[in-house]
Amino acid sequence: MKKAPILQSYTLFYLLFLYGPILLLPIFAFNDSRVVAFPLQGFTAGWFAEMASDQNLRNAAKNSLMIALSVATISTVLGIFAARASVRYRFPGKAPLMGMIMLPLVLPEMIVAMALLVVLLSAGIPLSLFTVILGQVLICTPFAVAILTSAFQSLDRSLEEAAMDLGETAWSTFRLIVLPLVMPGIMASFLICFTISFDEFIIANFLGSGEPILSVYIFGQFRFPNKVPSMLALGTVLVCMSIILLGFAEYMRRRGIAKAGGKDSGGFL
Amino acid sequence: MTFSDDRPTMIEFKDVHKYYGDYHALRGINGTIKAGEFFSLLGPSGCGKTTLLRTIAGFEDISSGVIMIDGKDMADVAANTRPTNMVFQSYAIFPHMTVEENVGFGLRKDPRSKEDKAKAVAEALDQVGLKGYGKRAAHALSGGQRQRVALARALILKPKVLLLDEPLSALDKKMREHMQVELIKLQRQVGITFILVTHDQEEALVMSDRIAVMFEGEIAQLADPETLYRRPATRKVADFIGTMNFIPAEIVSESGDKVEVDAKGLGRAMLDISQAPAKTGETPVVGLRPETLTLLYDDQKPPERETDGVIDEVIYFGDMTYYDVYLGGTDVEVRLSMRNVPGRPVLDVGTKVRVAWSPSALVLFR
Repeated sequence: MKKAPILQSYTLFYLLFLYGPILLLPIFAFNDSRVVAFPLQGFTAGWFAEMASDQNLRNAAKNSLMIALSVATISTVLGIFAARASVRYRFPGKAPLMGMIMLPLVLPEMIVAMALLVVLLSAGIPLSLFTVILGQVLICTPFAVAILTSAFQSLDRSLEEAAMDLGETAWSTFRLIVLPLVMPGIMASFLICFTISFDEFIIANFLGSGEPILSVYIFGQFRFPNKVPSMLALGTVLVCMSIILLGFAEYMRRRGIAKAGGKDSGGFL
Repeated sequence: MTFSDDRPTMIEFKDVHKYYGDYHALRGINGTIKAGEFFSLLGPSGCGKTTLLRTIAGFEDISSGVIMIDGKDMADVAANTRPTNMVFQSYAIFPHMTVEENVGFGLRKDPRSKEDKAKAVAEALDQVGLKGYGKRAAHALSGGQRQRVALARALILKPKVLLLDEPLSALDKKMREHMQVELIKLQRQVGITFILVTHDQEEALVMSDRIAVMFEGEIAQLADPETLYRRPATRKVADFIGTMNFIPAEIVSESGDKVEVDAKGLGRAMLDISQAPAKTGETPVVGLRPETLTLLYDDQKPPERETDGVIDEVIYFGDMTYYDVYLGGTDVEVRLSMRNVPGRPVLDVGTKVRVAWSPSALVLFR
């Protein structure tokens, strides 16, 4: 293999730029000082204890978890319907319709959030965690549709016909054949929507009612220098959770492919 | 009398039409398929043969007409309750299941006990030559094995009709020829009506009791292989099945059950009316299969008629040699085939030859 020193150092620099700041999170999360700066002052797990004892933070985490689980579930279910319809059926106005579903992917989130806020307020719907869920579903559904469309597309249509031919109904065919074979796609969609929702800020900030939501809460806490170390501890926990989640998603995806006897091509990891 | 004559009817088509939007895919299909018959739908791609098969399975609705299976109108019968099972072109083996689970899939709602079902699965696997393969993962099988699984999975339900959608097209030549014979044996053994879709005329001739040749959504001819080969109903059918020489001809006279023709390079010949299928309004030609023409060696006497010729091209196949020969000093060229037997040398281009032929081998298209 040829060496390309410039490309190599560029790659190294790029990765460092991406992940260096994240590596600082755990370093300072265990640093025994309220000031986030070198040199390090000694090891402590105290920030984690402080984080764990913060009642508001726990509320925010609970709310965010509830929102992310709801958004991931709703978006993935909607995504299944939309992806299935787009892969299987031809109907008038299909192209513009699919375009509209995918549009939030490229629409500035700020615009979506403001527009939704205006509509909700003028319709007299009080802001709540529910309106946050509503807004985030709008943002997440295109991701779910994109992931699930490729999952449905790789499904041989004659598999369904074969199941029907062998006596199954449309529903039992879906349950016994389609669902197990697109399950890796469903898992991937669920996890990605969950992740997007969990750290989503703009809609959570605009459409929230003031009940604590994790992303908004973290942003708020950064105004208080005192709180920064415990937020870094929280950040560390979130990074670890993300890695575990992604690792699990990848494991499921590979298992799904191996089970179906397919060739592994790409994936997240 | 052929095999199919005395059999009861299994499937009947009455004026079946199918439209996809403006596209007229099936244009008035009529005909019957007999019980226990090995029946083939043969035609080039896009002729509607697969569509017709899928209307039997119930995967496609028909726009008008009637399809009867075993005496019942299938209009309101869904695919999952029809007495048919299908072997798909892609085999459609469920990749997330074992061989056993695939084969037993159709027995899910069967009231029999678990042990009985397992026995039925084992029997079905045995029948297709996959004994002991039950526990294997379906995706770890070769093409030929997948096809056997697909066969076992369809046959385990004991359907009245087994539908096969180009089942051999994905296999290599050797495997294909092997499976052709196996399918014929299997069909005789189980006695179920088999309907095969294929674009391979040789495959259809080898395997079928009867064949429906389809062009552009219509059945051009429905007959047993020999009739199809010897007495094709139209020039198009003759051209599609095997090789046929077409020689310009004039109709000299037609009276009762005789037609006299004057074929360029061959001369006048008296044909039976059975050699002249219904008129289609084409310019008259007579058709001759290459093997009905023979080169005469030395002082051999022709059994019936002979014509002079000059060899234009020699194509050597090992067991056979094909000669392209200009007939009787005309520009009419015919292809004829000679078996390479000892004492019969392969002739060179330009050799003057005598060609023997028989009026009874001619078919007149007009």
